[in-house]
Amino acid sequence: MTCVIPGFNAFSEDLTIEGELAGTGEYIGVTGEGGGKAKFTEYRDLKEHGGFYGRGRFDLDAPDYFLRFNMTDPGYTDQYYDLEGGMYGKFKLDLFFDEIPHNVTFDAKTFFLGAGHDVLVGTPNANVATWNTFDYSTERKIYGGSLKFDMFKPFFFDVSYTSEKKDGIKPAGVFDFDTFGSLFEIPEPVSYLTNQVNLSAGYSQNPLFLSFNYFYSRFNNSNTYLFIDPAALTAPDNLLSLPNDNDFYKLAFKGAIKLPFNTRFSTNISYGKGTSETTFVPSYDGKVKRYNYDVILTSNPIRCLDAKFYYKYYKWDNKSDVDPAVVEPSFFTYRTATYGTDFGLRLPYRFYFTAGYKYVDTKRSFHQAPGEELPDNKDNIFYTELKWNGLDFMDLRVGYERMDRQTIWPNLIAHYTPDNPARMFAYQAQDMNAFNAYIDVYPIDNLNIGFGYKYKKSNYEGDGVAGGVAGPGFFGLKKDQRNDFNFSIDYVIGKIAKVFGYFDFEKIKLYQDQFSLEVGAPWQVDQRDITYGFGIGADIYVIPNKLTFKFLCNYVNANGAADYSLDPATFGLTGLPINLNQWDDYTKYGIGFKAIYTVTKNLTSWVGYAFERFKYSDDQLNNYQYVFADSFFGAPGTAYLTGAYKNQSYRANIVFAGASYKF
Amino acid sequence: MRKYLLLFLVFSVSLFVLLVGFNFQSDAIADNEYVGTDTCKGCHKDYYDSYAKSIHAKKAIPGSPANREGCESCHGPGGVHADKGGGKGVAIFAYNKKMSPMERSAKCLGCHRDSRHLVNWDVSRHKTADVSCDNCHSVHWATKGKNLLKAPEPDVCYTCHKIIRAQVNKQSHHPINEGKVKCSDCHNTMGTFNVKTMLKADSVNELCYKCHAEKRGPFVFEHPPVVENCLICHQVHGSNHSYLLDKKTPQLCQSCHNVAFHQTYPFNKQDTFTGTKPFFKAGLVARSCRNCHTNIHGSNGDLFLR
Repeated sequence: MTCVIPGFNAFSEDLTIEGELAGTGEYIGVTGEGGGKAKFTEYRDLKEHGGFYGRGRFDLDAPDYFLRFNMTDPGYTDQYYDLEGGMYGKFKLDLFFDEIPHNVTFDAKTFFLGAGHDVLVGTPNANVATWNTFDYSTERKIYGGSLKFDMFKPFFFDVSYTSEKKDGIKPAGVFDFDTFGSLFEIPEPVSYLTNQVNLSAGYSQNPLFLSFNYFYSRFNNSNTYLFIDPAALTAPDNLLSLPNDNDFYKLAFKGAIKLPFNTRFSTNISYGKGTSETTFVPSYDGKVKRYNYDVILTSNPIRCLDAKFYYKYYKWDNKSDVDPAVVEPSFFTYRTATYGTDFGLRLPYRFYFTAGYKYVDTKRSFHQAPGEELPDNKDNIFYTELKWNGLDFMDLRVGYERMDRQTIWPNLIAHYTPDNPARMFAYQAQDMNAFNAYIDVYPIDNLNIGFGYKYKKSNYEGDGVAGGVAGPGFFGLKKDQRNDFNFSIDYVIGKIAKVFGYFDFEKIKLYQDQFSLEVGAPWQVDQRDITYGFGIGADIYVIPNKLTFKFLCNYVNANGAADYSLDPATFGLTGLPINLNQWDDYTKYGIGFKAIYTVTKNLTSWVGYAFERFKYSDDQLNNYQYVFADSFFGAPGTAYLTGAYKNQSYRANIVFAGASYKF
Repeated sequence: MRKYLLLFLVFSVSLFVLLVGFNFQSDAIADNEYVGTDTCKGCHKDYYDSYAKSIHAKKAIPGSPANREGCESCHGPGGVHADKGGGKGVAIFAYNKKMSPMERSAKCLGCHRDSRHLVNWDVSRHKTADVSCDNCHSVHWATKGKNLLKAPEPDVCYTCHKIIRAQVNKQSHHPINEGKVKCSDCHNTMGTFNVKTMLKADSVNELCYKCHAEKRGPFVFEHPPVVENCLICHQVHGSNHSYLLDKKTPQLCQSCHNVAFHQTYPFNKQDTFTGTKPFFKAGLVARSCRNCHTNIHGSNGDLFLR
């Protein structure tokens, strides 16, 4: 190859060609059940007992044009190819193909035949050993390209297209609502095709920018519904509707003009329409119109002052229709109007102060269902930040944000019936305070140390109804508090080594106040989630430019819990454990060593070892049972599960060796 | 009252004059001359070589430094710098802390202002936060790949966004560390009309639907918070809970739903697989509420999203 390519590895004035071909042989030993083996390869194609993984790069660079090619893992389900080329200053073409696996659980089980298809046949039975196995796994294959024309500057034209095919199986569930008999976790077929095209044309030259954009997306699902054998479920529960075909297009105009005093006016106006249909309800005509208007005025009239004023209007207007004799229509529509301003002030001694205010007005309604209602919200948001880099060896930043959310119910008492005293935290009145501080220190050259802290607390307030009277406070999420702390260090020790490390800590506390209508008594739950992680690594240049040792270690630990406060006697739980102490608890760590030897200027080889461990425990999945007796709405029944997300723990050893050739 | 008003006015005007005067101080070096790229190369060969290999050295691009003053297009005239025998930042524009972020960015914007990729730079959160071009990009020491980044994504973003790094490291995450999703797939770091988050769409949901079009609908039976904002239930970068949920089910659902039947019950340890006094195990184990309410994003078959 080097004989064929002219000017190999040489920087000639006319043409530069360089590239790299690399291959790594890996032996992988994984210990774990189906859930663990899937978790190990969640987004990767790492074959048990290993394989040979390639990587390639080709760069051709001439004074007027260029061509680049990249590929990783050819032949595997996470392979990637990208070809880019063009003429400088004139046009650029990019073509790519990408595969993304998502593995959830291998060797899931079901008594049904037909996993992955739209018909499931089988008679419920508890003989799990005879059940059929399949994988909960999906794979995306995406190909596309883009073309950017700059030939007629200041005019430009861009076009891009992507097509994504997603296939596989994901978990779903169906239940016998007629007789309250059985519950089935089932494999849902995934066979989606999404095609998207984007066109953009415009003019860009100071002081004016204009562009017109068209976006179109079409989603197709090969399966309309999933049919379940009547031996398991009777109609209508044995027909599960699947995501319906839909499409969406958007027309947009964007413009910007520079005005005197370093001021700029920008606008974005777009209209979109989405449609959908379904054979489940033939009279349904799904239609959504969506409007978006943005205007922003920015100004930097004097060097020390940045100012910004902005307004955004967004409306999602569901104009769907359906025969009311078949389905009672209730189509959700909302709109938001945002008004905001912020200022940045450059102060003496390298202080930079910013402050801003934003008002968001959200209105919600239901098309063709005036009786339904959700509240409107008015949010007042204030934020401020002070940044200081007055010392050459330190940067400091502190910030604060506050949000006050008001909730307006058109008819609060009518909505809060004894049957529905829900708070609906997403819409309820809220006051939120957030504080953050960051400091980066560079005491000597090549040493960076960073500390950061972020605190956020949301209190959900607002009115509810008790005894037919509106008043403060009600059920649901009441408090959400989060603390984040992080530390990082990077240090280059001359030409000897480079070390780096980081530490992250997060604590989340949630508090909910609830009322059980089944038992007629209140209860509360405190959830906490504590996560900490660290990473350390080092590159040691044993023989500079010849022999390098690399070391990397990553560790994450999460510990969650849900602690209940209730009267055990009222709930019939006297003397019994209630709290959930294994609540998405896991430890994930990996350690790796790699020795890299530069044989020649072009040839490099390496050998290494890596270990990965993921240990997961959760009360919702521990001591898993595929079949168990349950009580559905007071009636006895049976639940049949398939093992989705079961036993995700794994341990993996990887030994690898490889080489690369650069030309 | 009038006295205080007068005092306030005098103070404001003085402060204004001081700030304006302070900000109009010029760092310009008088009587400086261009010396040519070959002179720069004499002392800075490594920098010259990296420049020569970069896109900035392409004469085919109108207005590129190769068609202008070469190195001095960005660093300013080097006459005085050379006469003084060089030195870091001596009589030359150097991309270091001696120059403010605004000054460093202004150098790049001098040529790139007309680019359609930078049309929203003035509205971007990065500009408001005083992030300069050279915080992320490097003409001389860019990593292999697009856009002259100092490090590949997401590492270059993690330099400042460390909390995002912590989230992406969690067990349920978008495949960012695996290299299948990049920060720039969702965010335009040069600014968009989504002022704070710089999303590449007019709303959160429109962005999500580009990869998750099966959730776009519209559906016959909708779940309003799904239609309004995916982030009501999901954490986008990473979560300890499956499906990138912000909170675990059933408590997530019980944050909003409290209607009679089964929703209002405190599903606890007794409702696990080994519980001896369960109320309704399927309300807690496996996928919890979604064991039955499987079409949680919207259904065409059932009002209760089944």
